[in-house]
Amino acid sequence: MGKNSVNRKVYGWLDERFKLDDLINFMKKKEVPLYRGTIWYYFGGITLLLFIIQVVTGMLLLLYYKGSSELAFESVRFISAKVKFGWLIRSIHSWSANLMVLSAFIHMFSVFFTKAYKKPRELTWYSGFLLLVLAMGFGFTGYLLPWNELSLFATKVGTDIPKTIPLVGGFIMNLLRGGEEVSGSTLSRFFGFHVALLPGIFTVILALHLVLIQRQGMAAPENWDELPESRKKKIPFFPNFLLRDLLIWLIIINVLSVLAVFFPWDLGTKADELAPAPAGIKPEWYFLFMFQTLKIIPAKLFVIDGEVFGVMLFSIAGLLWFLVPLMDRKTKSGEKSYWLIYSGIFVIIYIIVFTIVGFIAK
Amino acid sequence: MTNTVKYNKILILLIMLILNPAVILSQEIESKDACFNCHAITEGRLKTPADMFKSDIHFRKGISCAACHGGDSKEEDQDKSMSKSAGFIGIPQGLQVSKICAKCHSKEFETLSKSVHGQSSTGTGLVINSCITCHGIHNIIPVKSQGSKVNGANIVSTCANCHNNASLMKKYNPGLKVDQLEKYKTSVHGQKVFSGDSKAANCASCHGNHDIKKVNDPNARVYITNIPSTCNKCHGDANYMREYKIPTDQYEKFRKSVHGIALLEKGDLNAPSCNKCHGDHGASPPEVESISKVCGTCHVLNSQMFQESPHKPAFDKSRTHECSACHSNHEINKPTDEMLGTGEKSVCIKCHKDNDKGFLAAGMMKNMIDSLLKDVELANYFINAAEQKGMDVSDSKFEANDIKKVLITSRTSTHYGDIEKYLNTINEGFKITNKAKIDGEEAVNEYYFRRLGLGVSTIFITIICITLYFKLKKIEKKQKT
Repeated sequence: MGKNSVNRKVYGWLDERFKLDDLINFMKKKEVPLYRGTIWYYFGGITLLLFIIQVVTGMLLLLYYKGSSELAFESVRFISAKVKFGWLIRSIHSWSANLMVLSAFIHMFSVFFTKAYKKPRELTWYSGFLLLVLAMGFGFTGYLLPWNELSLFATKVGTDIPKTIPLVGGFIMNLLRGGEEVSGSTLSRFFGFHVALLPGIFTVILALHLVLIQRQGMAAPENWDELPESRKKKIPFFPNFLLRDLLIWLIIINVLSVLAVFFPWDLGTKADELAPAPAGIKPEWYFLFMFQTLKIIPAKLFVIDGEVFGVMLFSIAGLLWFLVPLMDRKTKSGEKSYWLIYSGIFVIIYIIVFTIVGFIAK
Repeated sequence: MTNTVKYNKILILLIMLILNPAVILSQEIESKDACFNCHAITEGRLKTPADMFKSDIHFRKGISCAACHGGDSKEEDQDKSMSKSAGFIGIPQGLQVSKICAKCHSKEFETLSKSVHGQSSTGTGLVINSCITCHGIHNIIPVKSQGSKVNGANIVSTCANCHNNASLMKKYNPGLKVDQLEKYKTSVHGQKVFSGDSKAANCASCHGNHDIKKVNDPNARVYITNIPSTCNKCHGDANYMREYKIPTDQYEKFRKSVHGIALLEKGDLNAPSCNKCHGDHGASPPEVESISKVCGTCHVLNSQMFQESPHKPAFDKSRTHECSACHSNHEINKPTDEMLGTGEKSVCIKCHKDNDKGFLAAGMMKNMIDSLLKDVELANYFINAAEQKGMDVSDSKFEANDIKKVLITSRTSTHYGDIEKYLNTINEGFKITNKAKIDGEEAVNEYYFRRLGLGVSTIFITIICITLYFKLKKIEKKQKT
């Protein structure tokens, strides 16, 4: 019996039960617009790939990681120094986490500027926004897990911020920390958030996000409908787009390997809750623009506390960003909404400038 | 001696006595001081003060009884002279005593008030010592006079009145020892004082007099960091010490020694001061055979090893000064590896020569420690190389830290003077350095293996990428046709 005959038999067996032919035909019929903005479509896939890498490497790290303040640092050091390829797994986990957030940001802005959030894809935008927030939550909780000096104090600063929220601030801070101070309880809690709570919620929303994309297809560019059929270039989702996706995934894996080998993630020194805060405490780069903003806001703005003002500012900005599909009435009616484009450009410039300033600042 | 000469001598003596102003003055007081005159002619307890007061410096200086007791010393009527209206206070009580003395001796009183003896420690408000505790009452004579309670010859027993009294000392400082006098009797200072040498150190020489502070008070003359300069006041004075024929450069030597630097420059209070080796109240130079015991109070292991070494009986036999034979006494420098072996700076060659057994052993010990130090350098090189390449060698570094311990124990084990015991210790060091070298080397190899692995996987993935790209192009070409 030849190899092809075996493959056909297996496929036949599966097709009989799961109607694979229908799925392949659906994918073959599905088309992806081919234009100069097609490149932005790949960032969703890149983010997905990096998330999958996160899940796989995260599960491998779980085999050795110990989520207690007494053992966390030592267990991560053991993974890096003693476990076969442990250093590679940890380094890839850290690098892919950062690249995933970067890729998610690029994906979000590409959707924003190509207006892909407009009807009928509002839910895809909402779910995508939530996924980005959850990804940042993964980053925030994961940052503390090695229990090193920098992560301890960055978490102290980070969890101090919600305290400024009127009425519920104290409750939120206690909920995050598991007490008044960042301690072993915070580590256990963050570990739980990182490996159970967040992945659970993330998986449900991600599934919804992917189903919506598959169901609605890729969003065409703004003037797509006005183009004559002859100028509407398209490629089938299967196999063309999927193979291109695969090609980019392989390139990303290569980049990730180079980063992990040449720039292994530093472990630092073990956290000491009683030690004074070292100089230059900074959060992960994707929180840096917010951190830097809070630093430059004066302590008192008229009657309102500066930090409260900053937190309110970012909360309102985040809410407005989330509600973009509702606010963009001009695109709905087929007009160009320049103010939204300018706002988007402003947000990007703001994030880039403040992130750079945050890096440079002592 | 003829009678004429004898009478002449008596006559001269009488003239001198008559012309002595103190005698003239005291005779005048005797005649004018009604208190003294009256007490002098009474009997028993009332007469004693007047009898004692005759020899008192205050009496001789013309100070009347009323100066301390109040009252009118010119009034012969007892009711008037001892009346309250005349300011009579009777026998001064408690703090009153020192305050009366302070009328004239204010500076001394002020100093005493700040001293440990001037403090109230029992909660009664009464101070531990008043002036009369040491100087006495009614028979106070100049300090330089042989009979003075605070004269160099008597001060030891004056202090011992209280400090040798366990039940009394319990009241003020239960932790304070009461054997100072017994120890002092055994000291060179004590022996000299008791044999009539007033130049030798007594209690006040080291502790001061009115300004005595607690030993743990940094201002005390006998506070650990002040002891060397206190001893040096006498022992560093070549003129003062001339008759004793002992060196006077101890302080200068000590100051430059490892102990002196630790104590005086670094402020390490665990470092020894003079008294740690010589004793304090029982101060004396250690006997030849007890030097290692003295040094061994801190350098326990070194001392034990020396006691077990073949050097001990040999040193005893040759009356060699144990530890100080190699390390010197007051000017003990930080020991170096150069002290070992057969080189110019070696101390072993002071006794071992001509390739004798000890000479060969010393050379071997030195070679071993030199080899270990080279090995340590090499191990550090490998570990650092791996670390610089970003490899995690923290465990190996941690284990390699034990080498410091081995170096210390190896250097210490030279005191055994036994090559076998030395080898057993130092070989542990070679084990550690070998492991560190292997760990470092492996980490460096792992670093290159990772890069090789990366190269292979990158090439592999790139080949798949190229293949995929051409496959895609082929599919798209096929779709177009």
